[in-house]
Amino acid sequence: MQHVNESDVAGIAQYVRIAMSDEEIAKMTVDLNNIIDSLAPITEYDLSGVEPTFHPIGDISNIMREDELKESFSQEVALENASRQEDGSFLIPSILGEGGDR
Amino acid sequence: MMNQMTLSQMRQGLLAKDFSSTELVHETFRNIEEADKSVHAFLELTEDAALETARVVDDSITMGTFDEMGILAGIPVAYKDNMNLLGTHTTCSSNMLANYVSPYTATCVQRTLDEGAIPIGKLNMDEFAFGSSTETSAFGATCNPWDLSRVPGGSSGGSAAAVASGMVPATLGSDTGGSIRQPAAFCGVIGIKPTYGVVSRYGVVAFGSSLDQVGPFARSVEDAAVLMNAISGHDPLDCTSQHISTDFTAGLADGIKDMKIGIVPAFMEAKGLSDEVKSKVEEVIEVVRSQGAQIVEIDLPNAQAAMSAYYVLGPCEAFSNLARFDSIRYGYMDPGHSNMDDQYDFSRAKGFGEEARRRIMLGSYLLSAGVYDKYYYPAQQVRTLITQDYASAFEKVDCIIAPVAPRTAFKMGEIADPSEMYLSDMFTISINIAGNGGMSMPVGLGSDTGLPVGVQLISPAFKDENMLKVAAALERQYGIAKVAPAFCADAKKGGE
Repeated sequence: MQHVNESDVAGIAQYVRIAMSDEEIAKMTVDLNNIIDSLAPITEYDLSGVEPTFHPIGDISNIMREDELKESFSQEVALENASRQEDGSFLIPSILGEGGDR
Repeated sequence: MMNQMTLSQMRQGLLAKDFSSTELVHETFRNIEEADKSVHAFLELTEDAALETARVVDDSITMGTFDEMGILAGIPVAYKDNMNLLGTHTTCSSNMLANYVSPYTATCVQRTLDEGAIPIGKLNMDEFAFGSSTETSAFGATCNPWDLSRVPGGSSGGSAAAVASGMVPATLGSDTGGSIRQPAAFCGVIGIKPTYGVVSRYGVVAFGSSLDQVGPFARSVEDAAVLMNAISGHDPLDCTSQHISTDFTAGLADGIKDMKIGIVPAFMEAKGLSDEVKSKVEEVIEVVRSQGAQIVEIDLPNAQAAMSAYYVLGPCEAFSNLARFDSIRYGYMDPGHSNMDDQYDFSRAKGFGEEARRRIMLGSYLLSAGVYDKYYYPAQQVRTLITQDYASAFEKVDCIIAPVAPRTAFKMGEIADPSEMYLSDMFTISINIAGNGGMSMPVGLGSDTGLPVGVQLISPAFKDENMLKVAAALERQYGIAKVAPAFCADAKKGGE
Protein backbone atom coordinates (compact mmCIF):
# COMPACT_ATOMS: atom_id res chain seq x y z
CA MET A 1 0.00 0.00 0.00
CA GLN A 2 1.27 3.46 -0.77
CA HIS A 3 1.42 5.58 2.37
CA VAL A 4 3.84 8.17 1.02
CA ASN A 5 4.70 9.21 -2.53
CA GLU A 6 7.92 10.73 -3.80
CA SER A 7 6.69 14.24 -3.29
CA ASP A 8 5.86 13.48 0.38
CA VAL A 9 9.30 11.98 0.87
CA ALA A 10 10.96 15.02 -0.70
CA GLY A 11 9.01 17.15 1.78
CA ILE A 12 10.13 15.00 4.72
CA ALA A 13 13.74 15.19 3.51
CA GLN A 14 13.53 18.95 3.49
CA TYR A 15 11.98 18.99 6.96
CA VAL A 16 14.63 16.72 8.51
CA ARG A 17 17.37 18.65 6.72
CA ILE A 18 18.81 15.83 4.66
CA ALA A 19 19.71 16.57 1.04
CA MET A 20 18.53 13.76 -1.25
CA SER A 21 18.78 13.14 -4.98
CA ASP A 22 15.71 12.07 -7.00
CA GLU A 23 17.15 8.58 -7.12
CA GLU A 24 17.57 8.45 -3.34
CA ILE A 25 14.05 9.76 -2.87
CA ALA A 26 12.67 7.02 -5.12
CA LYS A 27 14.42 4.29 -3.15
CA MET A 28 13.50 5.84 0.20
CA THR A 29 9.86 5.98 -0.89
CA VAL A 30 9.85 2.22 -1.51
CA ASP A 31 11.61 1.51 1.81
CA LEU A 32 9.31 3.72 3.85
CA ASN A 33 6.17 2.25 2.30
CA ASN A 34 7.40 -1.26 3.09
CA ILE A 35 8.24 -0.38 6.66
CA ILE A 36 4.97 1.48 7.23
CA ASP A 37 3.12 -1.58 5.87
CA SER A 38 4.80 -3.68 8.55
CA LEU A 39 3.45 -1.32 11.23
CA ALA A 40 -0.13 -2.26 10.39
CA PRO A 41 -0.79 -4.32 13.57
CA ILE A 42 -0.63 -1.14 15.62
CA THR A 43 -3.61 0.27 13.71
CA GLU A 44 -5.69 -2.89 14.12
CA TYR A 45 -5.99 -2.92 17.91
CA ASP A 46 -9.07 -1.94 19.80
CA LEU A 47 -7.47 0.58 22.11
CA SER A 48 -10.53 2.47 23.26
CA GLY A 49 -10.14 3.47 26.89
CA VAL A 50 -6.46 2.42 27.06
CA GLU A 51 -4.24 5.13 28.52
CA PRO A 52 -0.91 5.65 26.76
CA THR A 53 2.40 4.96 28.52
CA PHE A 54 4.94 7.44 27.28
CA HIS A 55 7.71 6.26 29.54
CA PRO A 56 8.57 3.05 31.44
CA ILE A 57 9.01 5.01 34.65
CA GLY A 58 5.75 6.83 34.83
CA ASP A 59 5.89 8.68 38.09
CA ILE A 60 8.85 10.96 37.43
CA SER A 61 7.94 14.61 37.68
CA ASN A 62 10.25 17.57 37.29
CA ILE A 63 13.43 16.97 39.24
CA MET A 64 15.15 20.11 40.47
CA ARG A 65 18.55 20.65 42.02
CA GLU A 66 19.84 23.53 44.08
CA ASP A 67 20.84 26.44 41.87
CA GLU A 68 24.52 26.34 42.75
CA LEU A 69 27.49 27.33 40.63
CA LYS A 70 29.27 24.20 39.46
CA GLU A 71 32.22 23.53 37.25
CA SER A 72 31.24 22.95 33.63
CA PHE A 73 32.88 23.07 30.20
CA SER A 74 35.12 26.04 29.55
CA GLN A 75 34.47 27.97 26.36
CA GLU A 76 37.61 26.41 24.92
CA VAL A 77 36.44 22.84 25.59
CA ALA A 78 32.95 23.59 24.27
CA LEU A 79 34.51 24.71 20.98
CA GLU A 80 36.93 21.80 20.65
CA ASN A 81 34.69 19.75 18.37
CA ALA A 82 33.45 22.58 16.18
CA SER A 83 34.53 22.36 12.55
CA ARG A 84 34.83 26.12 12.30
CA GLN A 85 35.33 28.68 15.03
CA GLU A 86 36.48 32.26 15.28
CA ASP A 87 37.21 34.52 18.25
CA GLY A 88 35.81 32.04 20.73
CA SER A 89 32.56 31.50 18.81
CA PHE A 90 31.08 28.91 16.48
CA LEU A 91 31.46 30.08 12.89
CA ILE A 92 28.59 29.49 10.45
CA PRO A 93 27.72 30.74 6.97
CA SER A 94 25.90 34.05 7.09
CA ILE A 95 22.15 33.65 7.51
CA LEU A 96 21.20 37.17 6.53
CA GLY A 97 22.16 39.30 3.55
CA GLU A 98 24.84 38.26 1.04
CA GLY A 99 24.95 34.50 0.56
CA GLY A 100 22.27 34.01 3.16
CA ASP A 101 19.25 33.91 0.90
CA ARG A 102 16.90 31.05 1.65
CA MET B 1 46.11 -18.56 28.45
CA MET B 2 45.31 -15.16 29.91
CA ASN B 3 42.79 -14.55 27.16
CA GLN B 4 40.61 -17.38 28.44
CA MET B 5 40.43 -16.03 31.97
CA THR B 6 37.26 -14.61 33.37
CA LEU B 7 37.22 -11.36 35.28
CA SER B 8 37.16 -13.25 38.58
CA GLN B 9 40.11 -15.44 37.56
CA MET B 10 42.09 -12.35 36.57
CA ARG B 11 41.39 -10.78 39.93
CA GLN B 12 42.62 -13.90 41.70
CA GLY B 13 45.72 -13.99 39.49
CA LEU B 14 46.54 -10.38 40.33
CA LEU B 15 46.01 -10.97 44.06
CA ALA B 16 48.17 -14.11 44.00
CA LYS B 17 50.82 -12.17 42.05
CA ASP B 18 50.74 -14.75 39.27
CA PHE B 19 51.09 -11.76 36.97
CA SER B 20 51.14 -8.01 37.38
CA SER B 21 48.50 -5.65 36.10
CA THR B 22 51.06 -4.22 33.66
CA GLU B 23 51.83 -7.71 32.35
CA LEU B 24 48.13 -8.39 31.93
CA VAL B 25 47.67 -5.15 30.00
CA HIS B 26 50.63 -5.87 27.71
CA GLU B 27 49.28 -9.37 27.10
CA THR B 28 45.81 -7.95 26.41
CA PHE B 29 47.05 -5.55 23.73
CA ARG B 30 49.34 -8.17 22.20
CA ASN B 31 46.35 -10.50 21.95
CA ILE B 32 44.10 -7.79 20.51
CA GLU B 33 46.70 -6.93 17.89
CA GLU B 34 46.57 -10.54 16.70
CA ALA B 35 42.88 -11.40 17.16
CA ASP B 36 41.36 -8.13 16.02
CA LYS B 37 42.93 -8.45 12.56
CA SER B 38 40.17 -10.91 11.78
CA VAL B 39 37.40 -9.84 14.19
CA HIS B 40 37.52 -6.03 13.89
CA ALA B 41 35.76 -5.37 17.17
CA PHE B 42 37.83 -2.34 18.16
CA LEU B 43 37.66 1.14 16.66
CA GLU B 44 40.21 2.69 19.01
CA LEU B 45 42.65 1.41 21.62
CA THR B 46 43.57 3.33 24.77
CA GLU B 47 46.95 1.78 25.53
CA ASP B 48 48.48 4.80 27.29
CA ALA B 49 45.57 5.21 29.68
CA ALA B 50 45.54 1.45 30.25
CA LEU B 51 49.22 1.29 31.19
CA GLU B 52 48.87 4.30 33.43
CA THR B 53 46.00 2.66 35.32
CA ALA B 54 47.90 -0.63 35.44
CA ARG B 55 50.81 1.09 37.21
CA VAL B 56 48.42 2.40 39.85
CA VAL B 57 46.97 -1.09 40.30
CA ASP B 58 50.45 -2.62 40.57
CA ASP B 59 51.42 -0.03 43.18
CA SER B 60 48.32 -0.93 45.17
CA ILE B 61 49.25 -4.61 45.03
CA THR B 62 52.76 -3.79 46.28
CA MET B 63 51.41 -1.61 49.06
CA GLY B 64 48.72 -4.08 50.05
CA THR B 65 45.88 -1.69 49.21
CA PHE B 66 44.50 -3.65 46.24
CA ASP B 67 41.15 -4.19 47.94
CA GLU B 68 40.63 -0.45 48.16
CA MET B 69 41.04 -0.10 44.38
CA GLY B 70 37.55 -1.40 43.72
CA ILE B 71 35.77 -4.49 42.44
CA LEU B 72 37.17 -4.16 38.91
CA ALA B 73 40.77 -3.37 39.90
CA GLY B 74 43.11 -4.37 37.10
CA ILE B 75 40.34 -5.79 34.89
CA PRO B 76 40.54 -4.88 31.17
CA VAL B 77 37.20 -3.41 30.09
CA ALA B 78 36.17 -1.97 26.71
CA TYR B 79 33.20 0.20 25.77
CA LYS B 80 30.71 0.47 22.96
CA ASP B 81 31.59 3.48 20.85
CA ASN B 82 28.44 5.37 21.80
CA MET B 83 29.87 5.88 25.31
CA ASN B 84 31.91 8.98 25.97
CA LEU B 85 35.35 8.43 27.46
CA LEU B 86 37.33 11.63 27.92
CA GLY B 87 39.91 12.10 25.19
CA THR B 88 38.78 9.19 22.99
CA HIS B 89 36.85 9.34 19.76
CA THR B 90 33.19 8.53 20.31
CA THR B 91 31.96 7.89 16.79
CA CYS B 92 28.81 5.76 17.15
CA SER B 93 30.38 4.09 14.08
CA SER B 94 29.16 7.04 12.01
CA ASN B 95 30.90 9.43 9.67
CA MET B 96 28.83 12.06 11.45
CA LEU B 97 31.04 11.68 14.53
CA ALA B 98 34.24 10.36 12.92
CA ASN B 99 36.30 13.25 14.31
CA TYR B 100 34.41 13.84 17.55
CA VAL B 101 36.60 13.61 20.64
CA SER B 102 34.83 13.20 23.99
CA PRO B 103 35.21 16.20 26.28
CA TYR B 104 33.84 14.15 29.20
CA THR B 105 33.19 10.61 30.39
CA ALA B 106 29.84 8.79 30.55
CA THR B 107 28.71 7.79 34.04
CA CYS B 108 28.63 4.04 33.24
CA VAL B 109 32.22 4.22 31.97
CA GLN B 110 33.35 6.37 34.90
CA ARG B 111 31.87 3.89 37.39
CA THR B 112 33.99 1.07 35.96
CA LEU B 113 37.07 3.32 36.13
CA ASP B 114 36.21 4.30 39.70
CA GLU B 115 36.22 0.58 40.50
CA GLY B 116 39.75 0.26 39.11
CA ALA B 117 38.96 -1.07 35.62
CA ILE B 118 41.61 -0.74 32.90
CA PRO B 119 40.20 1.07 29.85
CA ILE B 120 41.20 -0.90 26.75
CA GLY B 121 39.32 0.88 23.99
CA LYS B 122 36.14 1.54 22.06
CA LEU B 123 34.05 -1.03 20.25
CA ASN B 124 32.34 -1.20 16.88
CA MET B 125 28.55 -1.06 16.55
CA ASP B 126 25.80 -0.49 14.05
CA GLU B 127 25.73 3.19 13.15
CA PHE B 128 24.00 5.04 15.99
CA ALA B 129 22.89 1.56 17.18
CA PHE B 130 20.47 1.19 14.26
CA GLY B 131 20.85 -2.43 13.30
CA SER B 132 21.13 -6.06 14.32
CA SER B 133 24.36 -7.10 12.61
CA THR B 134 27.04 -4.37 13.05
CA GLU B 135 27.16 -4.26 9.23
CA THR B 136 25.92 -0.66 9.19
CA SER B 137 29.09 0.62 10.88
CA ALA B 138 30.68 3.31 8.73
CA PHE B 139 34.06 1.81 9.62
CA GLY B 140 33.49 -1.76 8.44
CA ALA B 141 31.63 -4.72 9.90
CA THR B 142 32.73 -6.80 12.89
CA CYS B 143 33.02 -10.56 12.31
CA ASN B 144 31.58 -13.27 14.51
CA PRO B 145 34.51 -15.00 16.28
CA TRP B 146 32.75 -18.37 15.92
CA ASP B 147 32.58 -18.04 12.13
CA LEU B 148 34.23 -15.03 10.55
CA SER B 149 31.89 -15.14 7.55
CA ARG B 150 28.96 -14.42 9.86
CA VAL B 151 27.76 -11.32 11.67
CA PRO B 152 28.24 -10.93 15.44
CA GLY B 153 24.73 -9.52 15.79
CA GLY B 154 24.10 -5.96 16.78
CA SER B 155 24.00 -3.25 17.47
CA SER B 156 26.57 -3.99 20.21
CA GLY B 157 28.40 -6.45 17.92
CA GLY B 158 31.87 -5.23 18.86
CA SER B 159 31.09 -5.57 22.57
CA ALA B 160 29.97 -9.20 22.12
CA ALA B 161 32.75 -10.21 19.70
CA ALA B 162 35.51 -8.75 21.90
CA VAL B 163 34.41 -10.96 24.80
CA ALA B 164 33.73 -14.04 22.64
CA SER B 165 37.23 -13.87 21.16
CA GLY B 166 38.83 -13.50 24.58
CA MET B 167 40.27 -10.06 23.84
CA VAL B 168 38.76 -8.68 27.06
CA PRO B 169 36.75 -10.42 29.80
CA ALA B 170 34.18 -7.63 30.06
CA THR B 171 32.60 -4.93 27.93
CA LEU B 172 29.67 -2.55 28.10
CA GLY B 173 26.97 -2.23 25.46
CA SER B 174 23.58 -0.62 25.11
CA ASP B 175 20.20 -2.14 24.27
CA THR B 176 17.22 -0.32 22.78
CA GLY B 177 15.39 -3.27 21.20
CA GLY B 178 17.77 -6.21 21.68
CA SER B 179 21.16 -4.68 20.97
CA ILE B 180 22.89 -6.36 23.93
CA ARG B 181 20.97 -9.64 24.07
CA GLN B 182 20.96 -10.58 20.37
CA PRO B 183 24.74 -10.12 19.80
CA ALA B 184 25.41 -11.94 23.09
CA ALA B 185 23.35 -14.86 21.75
CA PHE B 186 25.08 -14.82 18.35
CA CYS B 187 28.54 -14.76 19.96
CA GLY B 188 27.86 -17.20 22.82
CA VAL B 189 28.47 -14.82 25.72
CA ILE B 190 26.37 -13.35 28.52
CA GLY B 191 24.68 -10.02 27.79
CA ILE B 192 22.40 -8.19 30.19
CA LYS B 193 19.86 -5.48 29.51
CA PRO B 194 19.01 -4.33 33.01
CA THR B 195 15.64 -2.90 33.94
CA TYR B 196 15.19 0.62 32.56
CA GLY B 197 16.45 2.91 35.31
CA VAL B 198 19.09 0.58 36.79
CA VAL B 199 22.03 2.14 34.91
CA SER B 200 22.61 5.82 34.09
CA ARG B 201 22.71 6.75 30.41
CA TYR B 202 24.45 10.07 30.98
CA GLY B 203 27.16 10.39 28.34
CA VAL B 204 25.80 7.58 26.16
CA VAL B 205 24.69 8.93 22.78
CA ALA B 206 20.89 8.71 22.85
CA PHE B 207 18.88 6.60 20.39
CA GLY B 208 15.46 5.91 21.91
CA SER B 209 15.40 7.66 25.24
CA SER B 210 12.41 5.77 26.67
CA LEU B 211 13.98 2.44 25.64
CA ASP B 212 17.80 2.73 25.92
CA GLN B 213 19.59 0.92 28.71
CA VAL B 214 23.29 0.17 29.29
CA GLY B 215 24.46 -3.28 30.36
CA PRO B 216 27.44 -5.62 30.58
CA PHE B 217 28.84 -8.48 28.50
CA ALA B 218 30.90 -11.20 30.19
CA ARG B 219 31.61 -14.93 30.06
CA SER B 220 30.56 -15.91 33.58
CA VAL B 221 27.46 -15.05 35.56
CA GLU B 222 29.53 -13.91 38.52
CA ASP B 223 31.51 -11.55 36.26
CA ALA B 224 28.30 -10.12 34.83
CA ALA B 225 26.92 -9.62 38.34
CA VAL B 226 30.11 -7.84 39.46
CA LEU B 227 29.79 -5.51 36.48
CA MET B 228 26.14 -4.87 37.34
CA ASN B 229 27.22 -3.92 40.86
CA ALA B 230 29.77 -1.51 39.41
CA ILE B 231 27.53 0.35 36.96
CA SER B 232 24.09 0.32 38.61
CA GLY B 233 22.53 3.01 40.73
CA HIS B 234 21.34 6.57 40.83
CA ASP B 235 23.11 9.31 38.91
CA PRO B 236 21.91 12.88 39.36
CA LEU B 237 22.77 13.44 35.70
CA ASP B 238 20.17 10.91 34.45
CA CYS B 239 16.82 11.55 36.09
CA THR B 240 15.54 8.10 35.06
CA SER B 241 18.25 6.32 37.05
CA GLN B 242 17.02 4.85 40.31
CA HIS B 243 18.58 4.24 43.69
CA ILE B 244 19.68 0.60 43.51
CA SER B 245 21.22 -1.11 46.50
CA THR B 246 21.02 -4.68 45.19
CA ASP B 247 24.15 -6.83 45.39
CA PHE B 248 23.72 -8.79 42.16
CA THR B 249 26.34 -11.35 43.19
CA ALA B 250 24.36 -12.34 46.27
CA GLY B 251 22.17 -15.38 45.84
CA LEU B 252 23.91 -16.76 42.76
CA ALA B 253 24.71 -19.94 44.65
CA ASP B 254 21.23 -20.24 46.14
CA GLY B 255 19.83 -22.44 43.41
CA ILE B 256 16.40 -22.14 41.85
CA LYS B 257 14.48 -24.69 43.85
CA ASP B 258 10.94 -23.41 44.34
CA MET B 259 11.41 -20.56 41.88
CA LYS B 260 8.52 -20.22 39.47
CA ILE B 261 9.68 -19.95 35.88
CA GLY B 262 7.32 -18.81 33.15
CA ILE B 263 7.27 -20.08 29.59
CA VAL B 264 5.29 -18.49 26.77
CA PRO B 265 3.78 -21.16 24.49
CA ALA B 266 3.00 -18.57 21.79
CA PHE B 267 6.70 -17.64 21.56
CA MET B 268 7.63 -21.28 20.98
CA GLU B 269 5.21 -21.48 18.06
CA ALA B 270 6.28 -18.14 16.57
CA LYS B 271 6.77 -18.04 12.83
CA GLY B 272 10.46 -17.82 11.99
CA LEU B 273 11.75 -19.52 15.15
CA SER B 274 14.34 -22.06 13.99
CA ASP B 275 14.14 -25.68 15.13
CA GLU B 276 17.59 -25.63 16.73
CA VAL B 277 16.85 -22.55 18.85
CA LYS B 278 13.45 -23.94 19.81
CA SER B 279 14.89 -27.26 20.92
CA LYS B 280 17.60 -25.49 22.94
CA VAL B 281 14.97 -23.46 24.77
CA GLU B 282 13.01 -26.66 25.43
CA GLU B 283 16.18 -28.31 26.73
CA VAL B 284 16.80 -25.35 29.07
CA ILE B 285 13.27 -25.60 30.41
CA GLU B 286 14.01 -29.22 31.34
CA VAL B 287 17.29 -28.18 32.99
CA VAL B 288 15.60 -25.66 35.26
CA ARG B 289 12.82 -28.13 35.99
CA SER B 290 15.41 -30.74 36.98
CA GLN B 291 16.98 -28.23 39.36
CA GLY B 292 13.71 -27.89 41.21
CA ALA B 293 12.07 -24.89 39.58
CA GLN B 294 8.38 -24.97 38.87
CA ILE B 295 7.43 -24.33 35.23
CA VAL B 296 4.32 -22.23 34.68
CA GLU B 297 2.75 -21.46 31.32
CA ILE B 298 2.00 -17.77 30.92
CA ASP B 299 0.39 -15.65 28.26
CA LEU B 300 1.63 -12.33 26.90
CA PRO B 301 -1.31 -11.69 24.57
CA ASN B 302 -0.10 -8.34 23.30
CA ALA B 303 3.55 -9.25 22.78
CA GLN B 304 3.05 -9.67 19.04
CA ALA B 305 2.26 -5.97 18.79
CA ALA B 306 5.60 -5.06 20.37
CA MET B 307 7.42 -5.24 17.06
CA SER B 308 5.29 -2.66 15.31
CA ALA B 309 5.07 -0.51 18.46
CA TYR B 310 8.87 -0.50 18.60
CA TYR B 311 9.28 0.44 14.96
CA VAL B 312 7.00 3.37 15.66
CA LEU B 313 8.50 4.52 18.96
CA GLY B 314 12.18 3.85 18.17
CA PRO B 315 12.35 5.93 14.96
CA CYS B 316 10.25 8.72 16.51
CA GLU B 317 12.64 9.04 19.43
CA ALA B 318 15.68 8.65 17.14
CA PHE B 319 14.39 11.37 14.82
CA SER B 320 14.15 13.68 17.80
CA ASN B 321 17.52 12.69 19.29
CA LEU B 322 19.39 13.00 15.98
CA ALA B 323 18.09 16.49 15.32
CA ARG B 324 21.02 17.76 17.42
CA PHE B 325 23.53 16.98 14.67
CA ASP B 326 23.64 20.40 13.08
CA SER B 327 27.27 20.43 11.80
CA ILE B 328 28.01 23.50 13.91
CA ARG B 329 28.85 22.56 17.49
CA TYR B 330 30.23 19.09 16.73
CA GLY B 331 29.85 16.43 14.11
CA TYR B 332 30.49 16.36 10.38
CA MET B 333 30.38 19.66 8.49
CA ASP B 334 30.24 19.48 4.74
CA PRO B 335 32.61 22.21 3.61
CA GLY B 336 32.16 24.96 1.05
CA HIS B 337 28.54 25.99 1.53
CA SER B 338 27.78 29.68 1.50
CA ASN B 339 24.39 29.39 3.18
CA MET B 340 23.31 27.69 6.36
CA ASP B 341 20.50 25.62 4.82
CA ASP B 342 22.85 23.88 2.41
CA GLN B 343 25.39 23.29 5.15
CA TYR B 344 22.70 21.59 7.27
CA ASP B 345 21.27 19.54 4.42
CA PHE B 346 24.53 18.28 2.95
CA SER B 347 26.25 17.71 6.29
CA ARG B 348 23.38 15.52 7.48
CA ALA B 349 23.08 13.78 4.10
CA LYS B 350 26.75 12.82 4.05
CA GLY B 351 27.24 12.36 7.79
CA PHE B 352 24.41 9.89 8.35
CA GLY B 353 24.43 6.44 6.76
CA GLU B 354 21.49 4.87 4.96
CA GLU B 355 19.77 3.23 7.93
CA ALA B 356 20.12 6.37 10.07
CA ARG B 357 18.59 8.46 7.28
CA ARG B 358 15.77 5.92 6.91
CA ARG B 359 14.91 5.99 10.62
CA ILE B 360 15.08 9.78 10.85
CA MET B 361 12.67 10.08 7.92
CA LEU B 362 10.36 7.38 9.24
CA GLY B 363 10.24 9.06 12.65
CA SER B 364 9.50 12.42 11.12
CA TYR B 365 6.67 10.93 9.07
CA LEU B 366 5.17 9.07 12.04
CA LEU B 367 5.10 12.21 14.16
CA SER B 368 3.54 14.38 11.48
CA ALA B 369 0.04 15.78 11.85
CA GLY B 370 -2.66 13.18 11.14
CA VAL B 371 -0.16 10.31 11.16
CA TYR B 372 0.65 10.76 14.86
CA ASP B 373 -2.86 9.64 15.83
CA LYS B 374 -2.72 6.63 13.56
CA TYR B 375 0.62 5.18 14.75
CA TYR B 376 2.43 7.03 17.53
CA TYR B 377 -0.40 7.41 20.03
CA PRO B 378 -1.66 3.82 19.54
CA ALA B 379 1.93 2.58 19.97
CA GLN B 380 2.05 4.27 23.38
CA GLN B 381 -1.31 2.68 24.24
CA VAL B 382 0.02 -0.71 23.15
CA ARG B 383 2.94 -0.07 25.49
CA THR B 384 0.44 0.09 28.34
CA LEU B 385 -1.03 -3.30 27.32
CA ILE B 386 2.41 -4.94 27.00
CA THR B 387 3.47 -3.54 30.37
CA GLN B 388 0.27 -4.88 31.94
CA ASP B 389 0.89 -8.29 30.32
CA TYR B 390 4.30 -8.52 31.97
CA ALA B 391 2.96 -7.21 35.30
CA SER B 392 0.27 -9.89 35.44
CA ALA B 393 2.69 -12.60 34.27
CA PHE B 394 5.09 -11.66 37.03
CA GLU B 395 2.34 -12.06 39.60
CA LYS B 396 2.62 -15.77 38.80
CA VAL B 397 6.34 -16.25 38.06
CA ASP B 398 9.78 -14.99 39.15
CA CYS B 399 11.44 -15.18 35.75
CA ILE B 400 10.48 -15.99 32.16
CA ILE B 401 12.46 -18.17 29.73
CA ALA B 402 12.19 -17.36 26.02
CA PRO B 403 14.29 -17.41 22.87
CA VAL B 404 16.64 -14.44 22.31
CA ALA B 405 16.90 -14.42 18.53
CA PRO B 406 14.85 -16.64 16.24
CA ARG B 407 18.00 -18.21 14.75
CA THR B 408 21.77 -18.36 15.12
CA ALA B 409 24.17 -15.87 13.52
CA PHE B 410 23.50 -15.19 9.85
CA LYS B 411 26.01 -14.64 7.06
CA MET B 412 27.38 -11.21 6.26
CA GLY B 413 25.15 -9.61 3.66
CA GLU B 414 22.53 -12.36 3.98
CA ILE B 415 19.75 -10.03 5.14
CA ALA B 416 19.46 -6.94 2.97
CA ASP B 417 15.79 -6.07 3.46
CA PRO B 418 15.43 -3.72 6.47
CA SER B 419 12.02 -5.13 7.47
CA GLU B 420 13.48 -8.65 7.55
CA MET B 421 16.47 -7.47 9.61
CA TYR B 422 14.04 -6.02 12.15
CA LEU B 423 12.72 -9.56 12.83
CA SER B 424 16.01 -10.37 14.59
CA ASP B 425 14.58 -8.56 17.60
CA MET B 426 11.12 -10.19 17.65
CA PHE B 427 11.64 -11.79 21.09
CA THR B 428 13.62 -9.00 22.73
CA ILE B 429 11.72 -5.84 21.84
CA SER B 430 8.72 -6.22 24.15
CA ILE B 431 11.07 -6.07 27.15
CA ASN B 432 12.37 -2.64 26.12
CA ILE B 433 8.80 -1.49 25.56
CA ALA B 434 7.79 -2.59 29.06
CA GLY B 435 11.12 -1.63 30.62
CA ASN B 436 11.89 -4.73 32.68
CA GLY B 437 15.17 -6.65 32.66
CA GLY B 438 16.26 -9.30 30.17
CA MET B 439 19.49 -11.16 29.48
CA SER B 440 20.96 -13.63 27.05
CA MET B 441 22.55 -16.73 28.56
CA PRO B 442 24.69 -18.96 26.32
CA VAL B 443 23.59 -22.61 26.43
CA GLY B 444 25.85 -24.35 23.95
CA LEU B 445 25.71 -24.81 20.21
CA GLY B 446 22.76 -25.30 17.89
CA SER B 447 22.31 -28.82 16.53
CA ASP B 448 22.01 -27.68 12.89
CA THR B 449 24.46 -24.83 12.49
CA GLY B 450 26.92 -25.61 15.30
CA LEU B 451 26.78 -21.94 16.26
CA PRO B 452 26.11 -20.47 19.73
CA VAL B 453 22.54 -20.30 20.99
CA GLY B 454 21.38 -18.07 23.83
CA VAL B 455 18.22 -18.26 25.85
CA GLN B 456 16.56 -15.17 27.15
CA LEU B 457 15.85 -14.82 30.85
CA ILE B 458 13.39 -12.07 31.67
CA SER B 459 12.99 -10.46 35.09
CA PRO B 460 10.30 -8.35 36.67
CA ALA B 461 11.17 -4.66 36.78
CA PHE B 462 13.93 -3.98 39.33
CA LYS B 463 14.23 -7.68 40.14
CA ASP B 464 17.18 -8.24 37.82
CA GLU B 465 18.72 -10.52 40.44
CA ASN B 466 16.05 -13.12 39.57
CA MET B 467 17.34 -13.72 36.06
CA LEU B 468 20.93 -13.81 37.33
CA LYS B 469 19.95 -16.59 39.74
CA VAL B 470 18.46 -18.63 36.90
CA ALA B 471 21.52 -17.86 34.77
CA ALA B 472 23.75 -19.19 37.55
CA ALA B 473 21.69 -22.38 37.60
CA LEU B 474 22.13 -22.78 33.85
CA GLU B 475 25.86 -22.12 34.18
CA ARG B 476 26.10 -25.06 36.57
CA GLN B 477 24.75 -27.21 33.74
CA TYR B 478 26.43 -25.66 30.69
CA GLY B 479 29.62 -24.25 32.21
CA ILE B 480 31.21 -20.84 31.80
CA ALA B 481 30.91 -19.41 28.28
CA LYS B 482 33.87 -20.48 26.20
CA VAL B 483 36.10 -18.31 24.08
CA ALA B 484 35.43 -19.09 20.40
CA PRO B 485 37.64 -22.06 19.41
CA ALA B 486 39.71 -20.19 16.80
CA PHE B 487 40.80 -17.74 19.49
CA CYS B 488 41.75 -20.18 22.24
CA ALA B 489 45.52 -20.04 22.77
CA ASP B 490 45.70 -23.84 23.07
CA ALA B 491 43.70 -24.56 19.96
CA LYS B 492 45.88 -22.17 18.03
CA LYS B 493 49.09 -23.85 19.11
CA GLY B 494 47.64 -27.18 18.09
CA GLY B 495 46.60 -25.79 14.75
CA GLU B 496 49.82 -24.09 13.80
